[in-house]
Amino acid sequence: MTNKERHEASFRDPSGYIIHDGEVLRRVINPIYFDQYNALKEKGVFAALQKKGLLIDHEETSVTDSEIVITPSPIPFITNPYEWCFEQYKHAALLTLQIQKYALSKGFVLKDASAYNVTFHNGKPVFIDTLSFDFYEEGTPWRAFKQFIMHFFGPLVLAKYHGTEILKMMQTHIDGIPVQLISSLLPAKTRFSSTLYTNIHLLAKLESKHSDDYKAETKIARLSKKSQNNILENLFGYIKKLSINEATEWGDYYDKTNYESESFQAKKALISGWVKPLKPQRLIDVGGNDGTFARTVIKDVPHVIVTDIDSNAVEQNYRRARDKQELNMLTFVSDVLQPAPGIGFNNTERNSLVERLIDYDPDVTMALALIHHLTLSGNVPFEKSAGFFAKFSINLIIEFPKREDSWVESLLVRKREFINHFDFYNEGEFEKGFSKYFEIVQKEQIAGTQRVLYLLKRK
Amino acid sequence: MNFLYFDPGLGAMIAQAVIAAAAGVLLFSKNVMYKVKSFFGMMKEEDDSFDSIDIEEKDSKENDQ
Repeated sequence: MTNKERHEASFRDPSGYIIHDGEVLRRVINPIYFDQYNALKEKGVFAALQKKGLLIDHEETSVTDSEIVITPSPIPFITNPYEWCFEQYKHAALLTLQIQKYALSKGFVLKDASAYNVTFHNGKPVFIDTLSFDFYEEGTPWRAFKQFIMHFFGPLVLAKYHGTEILKMMQTHIDGIPVQLISSLLPAKTRFSSTLYTNIHLLAKLESKHSDDYKAETKIARLSKKSQNNILENLFGYIKKLSINEATEWGDYYDKTNYESESFQAKKALISGWVKPLKPQRLIDVGGNDGTFARTVIKDVPHVIVTDIDSNAVEQNYRRARDKQELNMLTFVSDVLQPAPGIGFNNTERNSLVERLIDYDPDVTMALALIHHLTLSGNVPFEKSAGFFAKFSINLIIEFPKREDSWVESLLVRKREFINHFDFYNEGEFEKGFSKYFEIVQKEQIAGTQRVLYLLKRK
Repeated sequence: MNFLYFDPGLGAMIAQAVIAAAAGVLLFSKNVMYKVKSFFGMMKEEDDSFDSIDIEEKDSKENDQ
């Protein structure tokens, strides 16, 4: 294995590991997992789950006595749990329960229930860890149960009471949120819910009670398959009905802004007129709200990503993409002013957002109505913003709202006595800052607005 | 054989017996309510891939249509 490099995140599970074989990701299975792999294959578990689109497809590449190599279908961009909106998080949890229940019916279990086993592809969550299955031993409780609570159930219930911001705790807790912490963060009334009391509070209590059982002396209770199914079904029903109620930052953005519908159309026409000749394979809209503008070209681009700071906008986009069966639309939550860092051991288990964007290598990047937030709310100089986009963008469509734009006016007014520090916020300075990395290909004022749209090309 | 590369939590293994019992009671009562409601025609049909935990049942339902 000379040109094959082991994937940085792939070391926890002894069953196998992932390698980069040139551009292709492959999964190597160790002999220790041969029995499981062959049984899963023979019993048609892989095939059934793949047919339903619940498990990522794979092809068997080679079989020897020392290793089996499988090649999973490529996924253009991996999103992590702390980047999902509430509905996405819910669906990932429900998918995990569906798979566990199905596996159980075939004599297998999910040996782990990490949220990182799931990502979003083709408009829906998909299970990507093909080696997460193990044989079910009659009468044993689910070993991954606590992990499911820490990775899925806990974060979801916390989001119900504290809002979606809390899902970002997954960024600081790669192994999930500790059950004692989940329990202490929940309001006292949740103790009266039999599902929340048993699955969280009682669990936390028993976990701390038995945490000093160093010699593993306590006998583990047996649990029938029927009982385990009850746990799974009850969690499924509870999660399915979970909802949050929070006001959105941008939810009704397009009603709030001073967009005339004419200028709205003008902007859409400019975008699709500029994007189509570039014939992009991959496009990302940074700060793309609910995907309204990315949708103008969704039929012409094989893979489209829309990311936004507002979880509710992402949720609307996710729902719309599901409703309309837009399988090439991927959406996730991100804050350009603090993009997701590399986390886990050696900072490399989960890649930072910037690393993933560079890997994704979009042909077109859009940044509409974003630069004034970076510059005026984040105090980021134009040149630094340009440097950020230049890292991963070849063609950049960027909108510059002038000082006369009502949003900019409002942002400037809020600077109060420091307003003079922002005199540099003008077209000339913007072009100067971006010219370090980009050249201007097109420049057009959007009809009926105080906004200028640029098509830039990386130097 | 199980390869355990993370701590499943002893408390969690014990807790599952109680959790399952509580879940059993809840599911039973839900089932009764479901039957009562469907008797009076109060159930609305939902259609979503996350409607049911059972992926196989959904299969047969789809085939019926």
